[in-house]
Amino acid sequence: MSARRLDAGTLELGGGLEVLVSAALEGLAPGGEIDVALASRAAALELPPWARIAGHEVTGEDSDTTRFVVRIRRGPVARTLGGELPPRGSPLALPDGTLAMEPLRDAVGAAPEEASSDSGLVPIGALAEPGAPGYDWQLNDRGRLWAEEISSLTESAAADQWDATTEIPWEAVDGLPDHVERAVAQVMTYIAQNEYAALYLPARFLPQVNPQYAEVLLWLSSHVHDEARHVEVFTKRALAGGARAHALASTELSLHTLLAERDFTGSALLLNVLGEGTFLDLLRFVEQHAPDAATAAAARLARRDERRHVHFGISHVRGRIESDPDVRPALVSAAEARAAKLTSLSGLSPLLTEALAVMSAPSLQPAEIAEAASEVRSLLVRMDENRRRRLRAAGFDDATARHLSELHTPNLM
Amino acid sequence: MSARKGTVLVGCVAYHPRIVTIWEGFLPYFAERGLRTDYVLYSNYERLVDALLSEAVDIAWNTNTAYVAAEERIGGDAQVLGMRDVDADFRTVIAARREDAPADARSLAGGRLALGSRDSGHAAILPLHYLAREGLDAASECDLVRFDTDLGKHGDTGDSELRVLRAVREGEADAGALGDATWARLRTESPENTEGLEVFWRSPTYYHCNFTALPSFERGRQWTEALLGMSYDDPSVRAEMELEGVKRWLPGDKSGYADLTEAMRQQGYLG
Repeated sequence: MSARRLDAGTLELGGGLEVLVSAALEGLAPGGEIDVALASRAAALELPPWARIAGHEVTGEDSDTTRFVVRIRRGPVARTLGGELPPRGSPLALPDGTLAMEPLRDAVGAAPEEASSDSGLVPIGALAEPGAPGYDWQLNDRGRLWAEEISSLTESAAADQWDATTEIPWEAVDGLPDHVERAVAQVMTYIAQNEYAALYLPARFLPQVNPQYAEVLLWLSSHVHDEARHVEVFTKRALAGGARAHALASTELSLHTLLAERDFTGSALLLNVLGEGTFLDLLRFVEQHAPDAATAAAARLARRDERRHVHFGISHVRGRIESDPDVRPALVSAAEARAAKLTSLSGLSPLLTEALAVMSAPSLQPAEIAEAASEVRSLLVRMDENRRRRLRAAGFDDATARHLSELHTPNLM
Repeated sequence: MSARKGTVLVGCVAYHPRIVTIWEGFLPYFAERGLRTDYVLYSNYERLVDALLSEAVDIAWNTNTAYVAAEERIGGDAQVLGMRDVDADFRTVIAARREDAPADARSLAGGRLALGSRDSGHAAILPLHYLAREGLDAASECDLVRFDTDLGKHGDTGDSELRVLRAVREGEADAGALGDATWARLRTESPENTEGLEVFWRSPTYYHCNFTALPSFERGRQWTEALLGMSYDDPSVRAEMELEGVKRWLPGDKSGYADLTEAMRQQGYLG
């Protein structure tokens, strides 16, 4: 039987010899042989024990005037238990030089409807080697996690990243009157307090999601990262003018009930559709009525992120309801259960609504304060109208949308 | 009730914490094949051989040196139940600084030769034996630099071999003996240990570790069958086989211990 000759030149163990010989043996079937030609006797003496340890067999050793030759027969053991890799396919298409997530799924197959709860940290398309430690993932059902636009939303999140340290005109904070700065600090503190809940809730699901749903992990990670930046930017704005504000217990109570939600779709409804949806209106109001450019910029950039989150929530909830109508009453129950824990709250804290009005008013002149207070009341009406619209888009009928929106009234997030 | 009843007891030397990991992984494998097996750890091979002789254990996972000592006491009738693939073609190599590497073993006469633990077959007993065959009586013609750092463990820890290599690297010895498998592993996994060195001599092949049992042990054949059935492709034992340094278990075979037996007799390790 002839063996292919591999000229290893002056290579030695630890200097690339084992890499070259491994690669050559990898291309052979078990039992196949190669002749490794080496320039030095020392390398020829150390190659056989390496081959033995690696599970191969040395079937001959020879030398001529210029080379020492070690014949190695490939052993029967596979280097991994993951099975044979498929033949190389076509390179993925790169429209305009970009590579989004969808082409990966086109190449290797859709995310599975159900994923094994003990599957490992296996990237899309990789062959999992048996024998790895088992996990116990909690969220293993594609339909319970997915949203139609999840990949494009994640792409947008990556494209829209911003820097709360450098992209806000912080110098614009300086010079506001005390009462305005205190009002801004209160509104910003309130928003930051809410952003904490928006961070913790998706973060809780991250370690529960089966790694086979990489798109969901990427989405949730972007969500968490967005919220971390929102906590950062609103905390910075709250303190930038030198004032301090209250973290209200009533806000805490509301957020506490939100964080009690354990269901992924329940969270999508309560946080993404209702909470962040309502925040879209609040942030729009802040942007339009901010007394300084820094506050306006913070609200504008955060709002851009929140729109993605709301989009995900509506898309996910709608998909769940379409595939399983029984989800709808369960979601209504989740909203009712949250509201039932908030009977002590009759509405937003006056401290917040008053701060919004003071922040918005050009001065403390009665006419201007009245106008600003009217704007705030209009905001609350608009929040209700838009909540209902979003709820209808998510798959609820008019009556249910009205019911859910009313249940949400004491909260913003 | 005796914990031993019906259980095959394997004695091993605890030369590294991984021994526990290995055997905890192997035990379910044997149990699933109807051969309930347990293991007992000893601090050195002399105690393990005593335990085998007194039937405190059924099987001893022996170094070649321990096996030869046990075989001598048993009288030549020991059962060898199996060994690793890497045990079948073991060699000793001698390394020197690249620029000073001699052309052959005889050239070591008058120089300093580093050896591992004196009870190590591969790092002390056999190099002396095979060098003598090539006409070099190293004990009298060389200045022996011995590193008896893991006595009782027959070189298993690898510590004395590392010291041998360091002595050669740092010029405290002109050449040093160690197992070829140790050399190959160090070269690829921690090349700093072999920096500037090269192998210039190797011994003939000999056998290394084996599972030794008394002739009276009745379940040797079944236990060997189970052992040989263990596959590196079985995820439930793959990690443990990797730790044990085996890809395939081989049947017991006494043909590779003649040189070591002769060497141990000549060097006063037997009787």
